Amino acid sequence: MKIARLFIAGRLFIAGLALAGLTAAASAGTLDDITKRGELRVAVQTQGPPFSLVGANGERTGSSVELAELMAKEMGVKITFLDFDWDGLIPALLSGKADLLVADMTPTLARGMKVAFTTPYMYTGSTVFTKADSKFKTTEDCKAKGTKIAVLLGATGEKEAKNAFPDADIKSYKGGGPLLLDAVNNGQADCGVNDVSAVKGQSTAYPAGTFTIMPDLLSKEPLAFATRYDEPDLLIWMNLFLNQVTIDGRLQKNLDYWVNSDAWKKDH
Amino acid sequence: MIWQQLQSLAGSYPLALRGLGMTVLLSLISLVLGTLLGFALGILRTGGNRLISGLIGAWVDLIRGTPFLVQIFLIFFILPEFGIELDAFTAGIIALTNLAACFICEIVVAGIRSVPTGQVEAALASGLSRWQRMRQVVLPQAMRIVLPPLVGQYVLLIKDSSVVSAIGLTDLTRVGWLVVQRVPNGLLVFFLVGAGYFIVCYPLIMLARRLEQRMGAAHGEVQL
Amino acid sequence: MLENFSFRTIVEYLPLFGQGLVTTVWLSALSFVGALIVGIVLCAMNLQRGWLFRAPAKAYIDAVRATPLLAQLYFLYFGLPRLGFVLPELVVGILALSLNSGAYIAEIIRAGILSIPRGQVEASVASGMTYVQRMRLVVLPQAFKVTIPPLLGQAIVLVKDSALLSLISVSELTRAGQLLASDRFMPAEGFLTIAAFYLLLYYGLKGLAGLSSRWLGTAGART
Repeated sequence: MKIARLFIAGRLFIAGLALAGLTAAASAGTLDDITKRGELRVAVQTQGPPFSLVGANGERTGSSVELAELMAKEMGVKITFLDFDWDGLIPALLSGKADLLVADMTPTLARGMKVAFTTPYMYTGSTVFTKADSKFKTTEDCKAKGTKIAVLLGATGEKEAKNAFPDADIKSYKGGGPLLLDAVNNGQADCGVNDVSAVKGQSTAYPAGTFTIMPDLLSKEPLAFATRYDEPDLLIWMNLFLNQVTIDGRLQKNLDYWVNSDAWKKDH
Repeated sequence: MIWQQLQSLAGSYPLALRGLGMTVLLSLISLVLGTLLGFALGILRTGGNRLISGLIGAWVDLIRGTPFLVQIFLIFFILPEFGIELDAFTAGIIALTNLAACFICEIVVAGIRSVPTGQVEAALASGLSRWQRMRQVVLPQAMRIVLPPLVGQYVLLIKDSSVVSAIGLTDLTRVGWLVVQRVPNGLLVFFLVGAGYFIVCYPLIMLARRLEQRMGAAHGEVQL
Repeated sequence: MLENFSFRTIVEYLPLFGQGLVTTVWLSALSFVGALIVGIVLCAMNLQRGWLFRAPAKAYIDAVRATPLLAQLYFLYFGLPRLGFVLPELVVGILALSLNSGAYIAEIIRAGILSIPRGQVEASVASGMTYVQRMRLVVLPQAFKVTIPPLLGQAIVLVKDSALLSLISVSELTRAGQLLASDRFMPAEGFLTIAAFYLLLYYGLKGLAGLSSRWLGTAGART
């Protein structure tokens, strides 16, 4: 009883806060705001190549970063990147610090309850990788009881690994895909599970042949950009943008350079 | 392999310097402000007023008892819902100053309370004003207790400043995370990050030693 | 983020938070005991006259205090295997927290011991007390009273620092909040809930510190 009453009190308090916030929310469309501001604020997560990375001189680049830059160019405004770590990324979007979110993020239905995802602009999937000279040669080998499997905390690969390797010992790391490779390379984990494009892009930092990347995918996953549900105009525009760059081939060009090959390696 | 990584790391030094600069700047500003505020809070807390003392105590408990990440979130992401919009740097300074002040307040309170009441009574009897009592009798003695943990706290706060990367500031630790994406060697990269913090923190620790020796002349020499 | 705050989702995730809380508690408790041991040994070394014990203790304390726990954690986690020690994450985590906090605790204890006026020690020597009596009856009871508040502070720092172990895949309290943030995109719910739990731990620790200083207070009065 007491707890229920506490909850009601809490809800009332929060409802009061919401009322206070309402006046700020009632403004013109987001696209108008962006035009007036002359600036598109994009939250990015620097989780590593090929989607988002920081070059040696501190310049931000990567597949999603270039797509966001293209977006700003088409809008005719300048772009401001807000670089949050994983903990700050979602709050940045929800609190309105950023207009949209560009990261290698899977639009799950649970997440879609909170933020508005665009239509997927590419498909990828989780793959398994191991150290080349280890006794783990295939995905099947990693299913053995007690195998240590490195995954990224909070990433969709974490759930898939739990389903695919029910007997294994799943270890969730924070800090980005390269650390999974590091853990497998150092022997803290036997196998790693992460997005295939990320694994391919990030393993190039090691000598060729360090890792075995399994050809089979654990799942097929879309990637999409995200914005808020209170910015429907921006969401419509972002979908229009993705449609446009798909038709005129600019999306394919971006993906071919960054994701489908390691052509970017020699420039960055 | 390691050579290639070292080369790649060497190329990142401008980024590392920028990160170090951000860490130093944030820490410096918030430590100065936090010390002033912390001493003020500590003196007020040990003053006679029950209400003020209780309020400060509750606030200090709240800040000391919750993760700094959550505090910085509230200031940066939730305050705008109440119409207070801050840029990341200001939010970081406010959060760090507040954190510093609360920890320092506790240290100052412990120091002031360590001064024997007889001395305060003597000062009272010799007609010293409240301020004189504090400045000439209590604080000088309290400082002996306060100083070592105070500098220890500074060092902790400098390291806590790394949490600001959650609101988009690129400090030294964040640079480590960015670099490790390209140079996937956690051991090497964070060894260097550690060295960066060492450069900032070590002189402070040395300073504390000096001060301690000078102030503790009449004390200590307890040999185990 | 607050206008849609969902208590219902927090309740749904409560078992996860509970597990995290339990892990954080025993992990921190073990680490704190370890840190006390490390701290006492270091402090004893540091108070010796000869440099043979003093110098390494000082160097260790300075090195640990001047570098972030993150770097130390990675040093142990990625560095030890290269020397041939592959330890489970939990062991590495507890080791890192103990070794880290131990350096701070060594300084806290030292400050406590040094806070005792030299006159008292001299008086106890003059009244013919043995070394053990001096320590037990004069120095330590007073030192403990001064030491308890900063020790409480260090315990709190340790509890909160244990959140860093989520980096090496130890699932503790903070991780539960992060899961809520990343699975459901509910950062406010996730982080405010862990804040509430940490606050609970804080008050628990504070109560414990209060009890022990009252207990030591009477012990002090006896001398």
